[in-house]
Parts: sequence; C-alpha cells; structure tokens
Amino acid sequence: MNALCLAATSFMQPELPAATSDDETVRAAMAGDRKAFEILYRRHADRVYGAILRLAAFDHARAEDLTQEAFIRAWQKLESFRFESAFGTWVYRLAVNVALMSIRARNADPVSIVDDEHLPDITDPDHPLRSLERDELEKAIAGLPPRARAVLVLHDVEGWKHEEIAVELDMAVGSSKAQLHRARGLLRRVLGERP
Amino acid sequence: MNELEYLRQMRSLNRPTAPRRDLWAGIEARLDETSAVATPRHRRAQPWLMAAAIAAVAVLSGGIGLHLAPGGSDAVPEARTAWKPADPRLTGAAVELDAAHMELTQAMKDSPQSAALQRLLQKTERQRDRLRNIDKQAG
Repeated sequence: MNALCLAATSFMQPELPAATSDDETVRAAMAGDRKAFEILYRRHADRVYGAILRLAAFDHARAEDLTQEAFIRAWQKLESFRFESAFGTWVYRLAVNVALMSIRARNADPVSIVDDEHLPDITDPDHPLRSLERDELEKAIAGLPPRARAVLVLHDVEGWKHEEIAVELDMAVGSSKAQLHRARGLLRRVLGERP
Repeated sequence: MNELEYLRQMRSLNRPTAPRRDLWAGIEARLDETSAVATPRHRRAQPWLMAAAIAAVAVLSGGIGLHLAPGGSDAVPEARTAWKPADPRLTGAAVELDAAHMELTQAMKDSPQSAALQRLLQKTERQRDRLRNIDKQAG
C-alpha cells in the first residue's frame, strides 16, 4: 500500500477518541449514527473476528462473511442492547451465536455417532501431546467436526462454562461435556497421527 | 504434555485477530439494504403478535367479566355478538370472546402457521364452549 492509499484510508476511517466510551458511542449508533457504529465496529472487530475464525475452522473467507453478518445483526438488534453488559461482550456473544447458527445450518457432524468409549482420553499418559506450534494446533482444531470443534473452542479456548455452551448449542450440559471429551480425544488422535 | 500445558496452549489461541481485509464497506452497504436501527422496519410490530396480545387481554377481561358481571351488561352492543347468551350476565364475556376470536382469525390469515396463534384460538374456543355450557346450566 503506498503513502497515498494509507493517507486515504486513514482519512476515510473515523477517529477513535479514547475519551468516548462505548456507551456513548452505542447511544449515538442507536440514534442512527452510522459513523458511531463504524467506530464500534473498529473497536471490536478483531475480537469478534478472532472468535469467529476459531469457530469457522480458521477459514478466513467464511470468518469474514460471518463477521460481516454479525455486525449487521448487531446493527439490527442494537435497540435491544440494554447496557447491562459491556457492548464488547454483547457483540461478541452475538457473533458467537451467528457462527454457531452457521454450524447448525450446515447440519453435518459425523462425530456425533462416534462411540465415546472408542476414543482415547487426552490425559492418557501413554499418548502425551507434545508441545505444539500454534499453526499446528489451529490446523488440528480446524480438522475437527463442526460441533465438536465448537464445544472445544468455546470451552478450552474461549473459556466458556459447559452450562453456557449447552444453552448456545441447544444441548444438555452432559452432552457438552461428552462432546468436549470426544473433541479432545479426536484432537489428540489427529495430532498423534502427524509425523 | 499434561492437561495444564494443553489448556495453556489452547488459551494462547484466544487472541484478537484482524481480518485480512477491511470488512466495513461490505457491512455499511448491507446496512443500507437492511435499513437502520430506528427505522419503521423495526418499529413495525408483528401484526399477529399485536392481535394475540389484544386477544389475550380480551379473553382475560372476558373471564373476569364472567365472574364479576352483576347483570349490568345491557350496554354491550348486540350486533358485535355472534352468539347471544340467554343469561344477560354472560353477554359481556361473550362479546369479549367473540372479539378475541375475530382478532385471532384475522391474524391467522396473515400467519397461518403460527403455533402460538393456533393455541390462543383453541383456548378462546374452549372458553366460548365453557361459556355456552354455563349459559345452558343457568337455563
């Protein structure tokens, strides 16, 4: 990108005044101020995109589509934001929901018919996971079936509780735990198969 | 790698990631398509939801009228009542149930698949049947 492009880009993007809180910006956006909404987008896009990217198997093109969809939904639902949580938390949860809906819509999860008992435990001392490079781990996670990946990412990466995952994925808490166990086993198997 | 190390590595993946391209232009273009936050599109309540709310209030007030009407319901216009109970104390409830039924039937034309509307309609019909039975028993 040349200097002219850089100048044009910085001219086009609204300033992000540190003094302006999210709440004020959200109120302006609620009143229809698109520049305010753009500021919110720029403040929170990276966190939202990161979460969606992990749920979307590190598929950048799909994550970009879902991120756009998430912010469009946020704009549409902005009236329902009650300032009971931080805007960042609200839009992050909404974005995760958009990503999970996409997983549900694809409706394919062959792992759901795999018998848990046939999968090894990740804590199995005979099969220790070696220390991994980030790329290697991301590729292994990307190879997991969608629903198992969703539970693994939400629990082990995003730090969600099983109760929260169960609500978002419309499953029992026990199923969330079983999916996590299954996903960890599959992950270990995938990583173990690599040279 | 023990479980603690595993979790540490997994958590290390939790980091903000910038999209490879600026997504704002695409978002903004679709804001135009989908209309803004405070536009009439969002203010336009679901017609069946409004009808259901009206019907629910009507049914409730009909039920209250059923128990409380002291016989002073002569002022209720007869033309609005599809079925006129013999006992004048029941007229108010009958009018309300008819109105609720009419609203719900109208709403069903707009949303024929709505399970909530169907339940409300069935409930209204059951209440109307009960009212007819009460009227019969009252002689």
